[in-house]
Amino acid sequence: MTEREKAPEEVVLTRLLRLNAVVHGVVAGIVVGLGVFIATNWLVLKGGKVVGPHLSLLGQFFIGYRITFVGSLIGFAYGFFCGFIGGYFIARMYNWLVDLREGKNQRHG
Amino acid sequence: MGKAGISDKQVVVIGAGPAGLTAAYELTKFNQRPIVLEKRENVGGLARTENYKGFYFDMGGHRFFTKVEEVKKLWHEILRGNFLRRPRLSRIYYSRKFFYYPLKPLNALIGLGFWRSVLIALSYVRWQLFPYRLEDTFEQWVTNRFGKRLFQTFFKTYTEKVWGIPCSELRAEWAAQRLKDLSLKTALLSMFLKPKTQIKTLIDEFHYPRLGPGMMWNAVKDEIERRDGVVRLNCDVVRFNKTGSRIDSVIISCNGREELIRGTDFISSMPVTEVIKKLDPPPAPKVLQAAEKLKYRDFLTVCLIVKQPNLFPDNWIYVHDPDVRVGRIQNFKNWSPDMVPDLTKTSLGLEYFCTEGDALWNTPDADLVELGKREVDRIGLASYADIEDGCVFRVPKAYPVYDSDYRDHLAIVKQFVDGLENLQTIGRNGLHRYNNQDHAMLTGMLAVRNLVLGERNDLWSVNTDQEYHEELRVDAGVEARDVEEVVQAALSRIFPKLDRVALGLSVGMAAGLLLFLATLWLVLKGGVVVGPRLRLLNQYFPWYSVTASGSVLGFAYGFAVGFVGGWGFAFLRNVVIFLYMAVIHRRANVYLLRNFLEYL
Repeated sequence: MTEREKAPEEVVLTRLLRLNAVVHGVVAGIVVGLGVFIATNWLVLKGGKVVGPHLSLLGQFFIGYRITFVGSLIGFAYGFFCGFIGGYFIARMYNWLVDLREGKNQRHG
Repeated sequence: MGKAGISDKQVVVIGAGPAGLTAAYELTKFNQRPIVLEKRENVGGLARTENYKGFYFDMGGHRFFTKVEEVKKLWHEILRGNFLRRPRLSRIYYSRKFFYYPLKPLNALIGLGFWRSVLIALSYVRWQLFPYRLEDTFEQWVTNRFGKRLFQTFFKTYTEKVWGIPCSELRAEWAAQRLKDLSLKTALLSMFLKPKTQIKTLIDEFHYPRLGPGMMWNAVKDEIERRDGVVRLNCDVVRFNKTGSRIDSVIISCNGREELIRGTDFISSMPVTEVIKKLDPPPAPKVLQAAEKLKYRDFLTVCLIVKQPNLFPDNWIYVHDPDVRVGRIQNFKNWSPDMVPDLTKTSLGLEYFCTEGDALWNTPDADLVELGKREVDRIGLASYADIEDGCVFRVPKAYPVYDSDYRDHLAIVKQFVDGLENLQTIGRNGLHRYNNQDHAMLTGMLAVRNLVLGERNDLWSVNTDQEYHEELRVDAGVEARDVEEVVQAALSRIFPKLDRVALGLSVGMAAGLLLFLATLWLVLKGGVVVGPRLRLLNQYFPWYSVTASGSVLGFAYGFAVGFVGGWGFAFLRNVVIFLYMAVIHRRANVYLLRNFLEYL
């Protein structure tokens, strides 16, 4: 088998994936933002005497957030922001660690 | 070199096969008047059609199927209404039974019988679990993929008939090279770009000239002559006169008379080994020796005329059965009804693979016809008594042999030929490359583009590998190179492993920090009861509290949980990717198994 033919197998078995930090951040941001948005609106639509007493505790961290439709938009923004930071951070750190570990392996190899 | 600069050129094309005639035809489009020299009395080369008493015999059975747009266009441009679209049916004859080819699982199961199928399955499992450690030979290569029993059933005898050497001596490299377009990358490409319709078309039907491939090449010859080109038959090039790194002229032998033909540029589809041998002055001994060591496989066709209107529905049958010597049987009437002059009769072409000069090759025609009659009767395709006539055609140098050393020898020959300024070699034998007709034609087209437009196409790299790219181009409407690049980029982005430890550490860090900051935030906010809800985490994280020290402990817990989560996610993702790749690989192997003989 030539080197060129081996390439896909080699890619799968030996190389380590790198993450795109921005994409990862955006995706995580959207997931978290949508999570808060949907969870909030779900409780708003359900209604009741006290709407979302537990979810409203997020207001401890997300200033201005409450269980209303407008609050769901604010929640989305906060969620997106936090998700982005988290996702971006994880990806950057992951890439850094992979570089570190691969560099080390290559030096030993 | 611009178009204007070629008006004073005299291009000599050696060989009137698909590559040579295509080159000459393309040259006429640039207002050139090429001289084509052909040693045989008819055109078509390895894709010629022989005529015997009004019956047409295609030497080899040439399906007209291509993914090269330029070639497809040329075919239609030349033949127009004489280009038929024909259904394809081919089967394998083995152990007195017929199996559909490409293989169909149910048909194969019924044909082989239950117990034999079970044994094949068990053998497959056994060789998957304990494969040969080294894949040096073709036998090992196939066995490792399909199991020993399947190898013996469907691959061994036919391969040995075609190549004339035991599979245990045929190099694995040959299989890997010939079948490389069925590699994992191809399978991945096919999944992304869905070329299945093309593959299906290849299996189900093909185009064919009404009177065989010769009709195409005769039409091309006529067209070249109509445009003031010259096609000279029965003219064998016996010497290339070389000065420095240029060919000045060739000496040809026409009906016993020698003649000198001068040219400014030469395009040759004659076997590259012969070009080397006929150079004057001769090249270095190293080059001559390398050329000497490049080998060919030949075949002969025993043509039989049978007094029956219909014998069997196949276009051709692969004969794997070791009890008969015939390797493949063509039923030309099923290729095109016009191949026979009398519809109450059928013409068959029995192909015997051999080597020029061996016992079979030297067998008198009458004996070969007799052998063919007996074997076709034994297989049960036609009754001996119904065969009223027969003849034999020999096709030398039909297949370049990819033996263990050919690469090294070819590299030497290639280097030498590339050093000749005004000579380009094209076609299957000109490049010693197992190209099909369409790719041979493509080399002719590219050679002309090199000559006329000053392009720098590497003719030696036109091969089956290219086919897949073309397939993609047809289907996806994108350029082959783009596809290659995109897929390589996608592969290196999507399919590599996730580093479990790195992901574990980074998710752990993120989770730890999140809990640390959340705790600290509530501590800093203060109040009568600080973070009563967040404190509930101590149900899972013993001793955790919403305090400054608790935030540190929270970090540790968050990190631990995040690490396990990240590590586990990466592990599962890698497992899924691995399984996914295994499925793709399996599909590629199944495709390979079903279509294996196409590549022999």
